[in-house]
Amino acid sequence: MAMDTELGNAACSEYEALLEDYLNNELNSADAKRASEHWKNCAGCRAALEQAAESARLLRLAEPSADPGPAFARIVMARIRAAEQDRGVLWQPFVSLAWRVAATASLALALLVTYDAGWGHRPQPNADSTRLTGVSDLFSPDPANLPANGDEVLMMVAESNHGN
Amino acid sequence: MSNVPKSMAASAPALSLPLVRGEKQEDRELVRLSQNGTEAAFEELVRRHQQRVFALVGGILRRPEDVQDVAQQVFLKAYLGIKRFDQRAAFSTWLYKIAVNECWDYLRKRKVRPLVYEADLSEEQVSRLDGIVSAERPPQGPNERAETRELLERMLSALPEQDRQLLVLKEVEGFSVQELAEILKLNVNTVKVRLFRARGRIMDVYRRRMATANKAGTASAGQRKG
Repeated sequence: MAMDTELGNAACSEYEALLEDYLNNELNSADAKRASEHWKNCAGCRAALEQAAESARLLRLAEPSADPGPAFARIVMARIRAAEQDRGVLWQPFVSLAWRVAATASLALALLVTYDAGWGHRPQPNADSTRLTGVSDLFSPDPANLPANGDEVLMMVAESNHGN
Repeated sequence: MSNVPKSMAASAPALSLPLVRGEKQEDRELVRLSQNGTEAAFEELVRRHQQRVFALVGGILRRPEDVQDVAQQVFLKAYLGIKRFDQRAAFSTWLYKIAVNECWDYLRKRKVRPLVYEADLSEEQVSRLDGIVSAERPPQGPNERAETRELLERMLSALPEQDRQLLVLKEVEGFSVQELAEILKLNVNTVKVRLFRARGRIMDVYRRRMATANKAGTASAGQRKG
């Protein structure tokens, strides 16, 4: 079952994760027993394990990233403050415009509400109250005194002085 | 404040944290305070995680001159996004994901590959590395250590990107398999298998370089004899 990689490193694919655990001292006892029984009879896995151990020795030579030091946090916070200020400056014209729009909209809404509550619902003038006292209305005459013919109409016009 | 680390107590005297156990619990409280606008709490979070973020960014970029800038950007993004962080994951996991994304963005925008060394190894370098790998002779003195590191960086740069990152983050920067799985959004078993194969690949690069250098050495010795 040895898996032949392009590297010539031959480890059984189902044991690769176990081999990695073994290198990191993370094998539990049951897995360790299973693995050791396999490795006794598998030259490929033994060779791969040896090679992996060599890689660990090699990689230990690399230098880890340096500690940034206590000044780093202060630099970050200064950059954050600067970024927040920049954001404030960038959005300031939009914020100002938004306030104006909001104020105008509020005023318009208030006017609408006021109109709706008061002025919009003023009682409609009564038709009788609009009739001028003493002036007979030719266009809405009293049904009791409706003219019977054309002569009576002319007489009514003459009596109301509209014919002048 | 008795359970709060000294660094925290010293740097953020205005904070009145309840007694909490464990760094993760303290992180949760600091995140909560940061979400409410306490700058000192976020500064403490930076202080606590800056080393690991540097290690992660450095492990991916391998360009020391860029690490500081990208790390700052990571914390800036974390600050701007902290109100949306729901604390379902640990703060560190969330932060490391931001760091990984920031590294990818950086590499993509700059269109840079991590440092690549082209030169081959000299005979002397070969024998030195051989001694180190076989554990017979560790590098002596700062100059030899520095040179050996450079040789190693050359070999790392010859690996596929993913192999190099996994090996460096695990073996050099000290991230655990579990952490790598979370950061890189991979299955734990996948990380183990990829790591193991990457180990094989770097040793393959190493042996190829050794073979080339030995061949060159033999050829030049033959020329001298002739």
